[in-house]
Amino acid sequence: MSFPTGITNINNMAPELPVQASEDLLSTPQFNLIHSFGVDLHHAETYVGKTTRMSRFERLSTDGGQLDGSGIDPASEVPTRTDIDATMEIYAKSIVTNEQVVLWENSKTLTKFTALLGQWLREKEDLLMRDLFSSSVSYINATGGTNGDQPSNISLNDVNNIETILLGNDARTMLQSIDAMDKFSTGPTRDAFIALASTNLTNDLQAVQGVLLKNAYPQQAGLRPEEYCSISRFRFFVSSKGAKTPGISMLGRTVYTIPMYGLEAAAKIEQNNYTAVIGYRPPWVVSSVAQNSQLYAKFAIARAITNQNWISGLNVTTRQAS
Amino acid sequence: MPFTIITGGSFTSTGAGVKILLPSSADYFQTWNITQMPLAPATAVVVKAEWFGSKFGFGATAANDGIRWKKTNSTNALNMDTFSTATASNGFTYVSTNPVIEPQAANAITGITAASPAVVSQTNTYSDGDIIQFYGTTGMLQISGMNFQISSTSGSGYTLIGLRAAGFAAPATAGFTRRISKYLAVDPQFLYITEITKATSAVVRTSVDPSAYYVVGMKIHFSIPYSFGMYEMNQLTGTIIAVDAANYTLTVDIDSSAFTTFAFPASSASPTAQLFATLAPAGARTQRDPNTWVETGYNFQYQAFHTGQFVPYMYLSGGAQSPAGAADDVINWMAYKLEN
Repeated sequence: MSFPTGITNINNMAPELPVQASEDLLSTPQFNLIHSFGVDLHHAETYVGKTTRMSRFERLSTDGGQLDGSGIDPASEVPTRTDIDATMEIYAKSIVTNEQVVLWENSKTLTKFTALLGQWLREKEDLLMRDLFSSSVSYINATGGTNGDQPSNISLNDVNNIETILLGNDARTMLQSIDAMDKFSTGPTRDAFIALASTNLTNDLQAVQGVLLKNAYPQQAGLRPEEYCSISRFRFFVSSKGAKTPGISMLGRTVYTIPMYGLEAAAKIEQNNYTAVIGYRPPWVVSSVAQNSQLYAKFAIARAITNQNWISGLNVTTRQAS
Repeated sequence: MPFTIITGGSFTSTGAGVKILLPSSADYFQTWNITQMPLAPATAVVVKAEWFGSKFGFGATAANDGIRWKKTNSTNALNMDTFSTATASNGFTYVSTNPVIEPQAANAITGITAASPAVVSQTNTYSDGDIIQFYGTTGMLQISGMNFQISSTSGSGYTLIGLRAAGFAAPATAGFTRRISKYLAVDPQFLYITEITKATSAVVRTSVDPSAYYVVGMKIHFSIPYSFGMYEMNQLTGTIIAVDAANYTLTVDIDSSAFTTFAFPASSASPTAQLFATLAPAGARTQRDPNTWVETGYNFQYQAFHTGQFVPYMYLSGGAQSPAGAADDVINWMAYKLEN
């Protein structure tokens, strides 16, 4: 309602510009990147093909070996070598922008679009590593939970079972221990393997016997924001993009896959001279009337499970159906 | 909205579904049944089909659906409707994400025999070689969640070469299946184990044909929960010395003759029995046989880790009333993208 008045107000003189841009753009959502930081990084040379071979000599047998004084030499042993191969693959994304957007948009679009492409590079790499873990590793169904499903929700027994497997295969822990300190409600963490889980599991992780939530670690310095808790010999990192398969449990629930591993279990290989390229194609190249420009990002990656003995994991469901 | 044709092609149908890999995302897809187009077939044969992507908003095509142009019985008159209007017709399924989950509708089974090989009773439109994921089984709880490759397929059932269930206490009486991609996101991939013999060189049966993923010379790592009996095999790594595509078996250089017998846990042990017995890729052992000059460990098609299922792709369902047509039909197809 507008009242007749002699006062100049916003009813009879509305702002010339009805909207202004806030001083900062809002955050672009980014999921937790948890699937790459625990793997080894290798580099592939150029001009020598697209397949990288990583080799490991297996240890010699410790059976026998004692000399009995007869002068007869012990049997020699032929060392064996395991070759792990990975094929380089290239991924790309582009944004084509009309000149009128660049001309009139307030937020310096080309700069922002470049940042978006940079985020895409990291997110795509993370998902590719997740897919490696979900496709090429053996997982064991959790059975210690109480939800009556197969697999069950996660329990301490299930976590300890994976620790037994990894220790039995001489896997090395990845994270150093955090010593106890004289602080209320905190507890030390042991040197630990890492576990990667979906954020849908945080409710269940909190309920596992002996869980130490991140805030109860004696020190917070140096912890990654993606870390959620410590259970037994594992420190759990969570992402909304953690691997899951809907509707395939015995009761028709979503099954979540949790890779759990130690040092040198997996690797990603970057291609020399081709890693994380971000480029710009000007309008006179992209468009016949020079109206559209293009930003692009591309990267090369190869990925591999380098030692199956040092990686295992769990399939779990949740206590509340999901 | 101008369109760009991103790719096109032609194939002769086998009557089964066809997977068309696309070099980029697609917004519109068409098929033409060149064989049936000039004919006046006796049934509601599809001669043209169309699919609309997510950029069409509310007009986008649902999974396993699309618009179909079909002949009226014994005349050349054309009628249009959607694949979903007829339960016997399946349409387009566009898959653009990994893990690859083709959103095929759940399909109920009426039984799985406790026989070797097991036989499944189910009204279905699957094809030989499809990979089927079982879940929610009533009876045979020990296989719920596993994937199996199917053969001897008919509209009323199929055989699971990879499941020798004669030792199971009882058949399954109900459950559900869903077709999944033959390849996971990354290859070589883990496989489900259904049997391991006690032998000087153990013979390992998998739930799918292992020759699609593994070759002689590759190493495999075993994960065998205690509930499967042959716990001595757990966490061992062996080298493949033979692959049998017909029987879904791999022979490895592990002497299992003194091991405990491999056996599925009883259905009644679920959900507390640990599942599943699996194998996973563990590299290769590179060797040369001086007698045959056969070198193993250099098969980069299989042993190198690489993308398994390329995405995006368009799955065309097979059959006379579907976009991929009946056997011997020539199908032209074309994929479009809205111009940038």
